Order: sequence, then structure tokens, then C-alpha cells
Amino acid sequence: MSNTLPSEPNATTAHIIKALEWILIPTLFFVIIGSFHIHMMLTAGDWDFWLDWKDREWWIVLSPVVTITFCAALHSFFWKNFRLPIGATFAILALLTGEWVVRITGFHAWSHYPINLVTPATFLAGAVAIDAIFLLTRSMLLTAILGAPVYALLFFPSNWAWLAAFHVPVELHDQVMTVADLIGFEYVRTGTPEYIRMIERGTLRTFGQHSVAISSFFAAFLSSLVYVLWWFIGKSFSSLKYIKERI
Amino acid sequence: MDTSKLKPQPLSYYLKGFKQFICAVLILFGVYLAAIWYQFSFAHLYGLEAHDPNFETYWMSWLYTEIVLEIIIAICLWSYLWVTRELTLDHVTPNQELQRYCTFSLFLAVYAWTLYWGVSYFTEQDGAWHQVVTRDTSFTPSHIMIFYLSFPLYIIAGVCTLLYAHTRLPIYQTEGVSLAHVILVAGPFMILPNVGLNEWGHAFWFMEEFFSAPLHWGFVILGWCGLGLLGVILQIMERVSEILNSLDTQNTLTQADS
Repeated sequence: MSNTLPSEPNATTAHIIKALEWILIPTLFFVIIGSFHIHMMLTAGDWDFWLDWKDREWWIVLSPVVTITFCAALHSFFWKNFRLPIGATFAILALLTGEWVVRITGFHAWSHYPINLVTPATFLAGAVAIDAIFLLTRSMLLTAILGAPVYALLFFPSNWAWLAAFHVPVELHDQVMTVADLIGFEYVRTGTPEYIRMIERGTLRTFGQHSVAISSFFAAFLSSLVYVLWWFIGKSFSSLKYIKERI
Repeated sequence: MDTSKLKPQPLSYYLKGFKQFICAVLILFGVYLAAIWYQFSFAHLYGLEAHDPNFETYWMSWLYTEIVLEIIIAICLWSYLWVTRELTLDHVTPNQELQRYCTFSLFLAVYAWTLYWGVSYFTEQDGAWHQVVTRDTSFTPSHIMIFYLSFPLYIIAGVCTLLYAHTRLPIYQTEGVSLAHVILVAGPFMILPNVGLNEWGHAFWFMEEFFSAPLHWGFVILGWCGLGLLGVILQIMERVSEILNSLDTQNTLTQADS
């Protein structure tokens, strides 16, 4: 920004600035909830809605790549203009707020799905880590190279704490499945068909069947690229341009 | 320049519209809660079958009522902002301009509140409904609240922010239209026309299995336009900083003279 505030603002000036902050920061928070949430739900939503869709390959690749977008855009905005390294945490807090409100009141209270089936994934650990790396490096490029992969690599471990119990195998009618699958079969949805879950159709069981690791590293690689792209998208939206001519 | 006009005013002067802002937020919150209560009460009872006579009574009546009310509200609010405009903004003092920027920010806050309910709450709630019920009409109990209640409300609020800025803020007359502001309002506005594509697609293909289907990606791209708020915030901060700097300088000069 070309203008700076007075070096020693008087009381009224300080009050006006604080008042504007109290108005504009929540305003930004609610707009980011809306924009980020609709982006997430319509690109990776099904994997985030359902417990039995949270597989060890596609969910792990898709979710960090889709969510690092708004983290990068807000990094660009907060850092370039306010020197605040909080973009990722701000974005993820907004997303999770929007998701939790609907999962409880919409999916659980209205559509009567158990909350275990519709718990959203968390991205907070990765968001705090990428913000910390951004603060330490103060560089978009280094954050893309170091921070974005850390964001993606932390996704599965940080969700495993609550997810592990649902991946315990159970046997039902001579079929072995996970607890997550069993809950899913009990609660039929229009998104239930097995073929719609695009998981592990290939014959390869990669790296000694350790699909999670390779998926996480692939997500890390993609996240680096998407981070750079969305940094510039965030920068483009932070436009100070006025258009005088008639459009 | 008359320096008395530059004397800082108490904060209550700048936040003159705060009570109206709180009222608007609470009224809107009441509307959304009433809509959710109606869904909880009558969606599973009378909202499952579009050919049921009760569907006409309970859901189509609500739809017709809300559309009529939204048109009336839009005409009233937009007309008020237009009719009460000032033809020239040359006389606006720095204090008045600061006050208007505070009011403009409150307008944006109301827009943000409506945008949240539209593109976050009711949109994902629509997914929750259609995982239970396969649609046989465009006017499902979830669609009646999302496409025809929450979307029009944020469009009304968004256009109000544009009208306020264009008729009250001098910079919109001297510098022209804010690109970021237009993106912020026009992008989410275009989500409503995109509903036409959505309904056509849901009639042509069977799309119920997959919420992340490409048919829905138009909503995603238009949702990104919410990021236009980043530019609008910077424009507000830039102009407010300029005004505060001028106030500060003038006050310092006045004190030195005296």
C-alpha cells in the first residue's frame, strides 16, 4: 500500500482504525468461510463428508491440494500488506467453522447421519506449520518448497488420531471390512455405490502396500505447485485498480 | 480549507450506522433460523414428493411468498439508496468521508453475513438433503431455501454495497469503479444464473451420487470471486489512511499556529 498511517496516531485515529479492524476482519472471515467452503465442498466434498470415503490414496492426495489454495491466497494478502504470517491458519479456521456448523445441524440433526460418519477432516496442524515456516523464511518460494510439502505431509498423521479407530477390520456375513465401511453400509446414501469411490482400482500395491506414504508425498509435490499458483491468484484479487472508462 | 471541518469527532460519529447494522444482522439471522426451523418441521413430512398436494401447500406457497417479498425488499432498499444519493460529492469533508467508509464497511459486513449463509451453510446443507432424497423437482425443500432465499438475499445485500459506494464515496466518482468490488458482488451474483445450468444438468444426467461432480464447478469458480474482498479491504485502508494522515497533518498545523 502506498500510504502509511501516522507514526503516532492520536486517540481518535487509533479508535477509527481499531473500529475498522473489528468490522473488516470478521467480514473477511465470513466471506472466506463462504468462498473456501463452496470451493472445498464441490471439489473434494464427498471425501470430506463421509467416513467411509476417507481412503488411503485419493483422499490424501486431493484434500491438501484443494485446500492449500486459499491458504496461499491469504498468505499473499496478509503478508504483503500487513506482514502477518497467519493466512493458512485463518483460512483453515474459516473452512472448519463452516464445515462443522453444517455437519452438526445439517448432516446430523436434519438428515440424521451419525456425527462419526460426517466428521470433517482437520487441516490445522499443517496450517500452523506452513504459517510457522512462512514466518521463519519470509519467502513465498521457500514456503512453496518447504512449507507446502509439510502442509500436505501432516494431513494424514494429524487426522489419523481420530480416524484410526474406524479403520479397524470387522467381519460381517463372512466379509471383512473396516468399521468405517460398516457404518457407511448401515447408512445408505445416494453417494453409497461402491464404484463411485475412485479408490485403488489398479493392481499395483505400491511400495510394499504403503500407499499412504506415496500418496502423501505426491500430495506434497502437487501442493508446492498449487501454492505458487494461488499466491499469484491471491495477489491478483488484492487489486487496488479502479476502472474509469465505461465497460 | 476550513480546518474546523478536520477536527476529529468522537467514535460514535463515525459509527453512526452501527445500530442499524446490528438490527440488519439480527433480522437476517432470524430469517435464516426461521427457514431452518421450517425445514426441520416440514421437509420430511411434506417435502419428499413434489406431486403430493401438501407439497404445493407447504413448499410452493413458501417459494412464491419469499420471491414476492425479496422483489419488494430489493426495490425498497435499492430505490432508497438511489433516491437519497447526492448528485455531487465535492463538498464531502474528511470526517464525513471517514464516517462513510465506516458505514460502507458495515454494509460489507452485512453482505459477508448473507454470503456465509448462502454459499456455505445452505449449500452444504443441500448436499445433506440430496444424499437422502433423490430429487423430482427443482424446488426441493433445500433448494427453496438456498437458491430462492439465501442467494437472492446476498445479491440484494451485495448490490446495496455497490449502490452505497457509488453514491456516497467520492473516490468512486473521481477514480471510477472498483474492480475488486465489482468482482466481489458480480461473482457470487452469477452463481444464481449458474443454477440454470445446474438444474439442466440434473435433469439431463443422474448426478446425485457425486457432490463434487464437474457440473458443480461453475459454483466453485464464481465462489472464488469472494476473494475480491481482499482488494476492497486494501482500497478502504488506503483511502482511510490518506484521510487520517491529512487530519493529523492539519491538526498539527492548527496546534502550531495557535
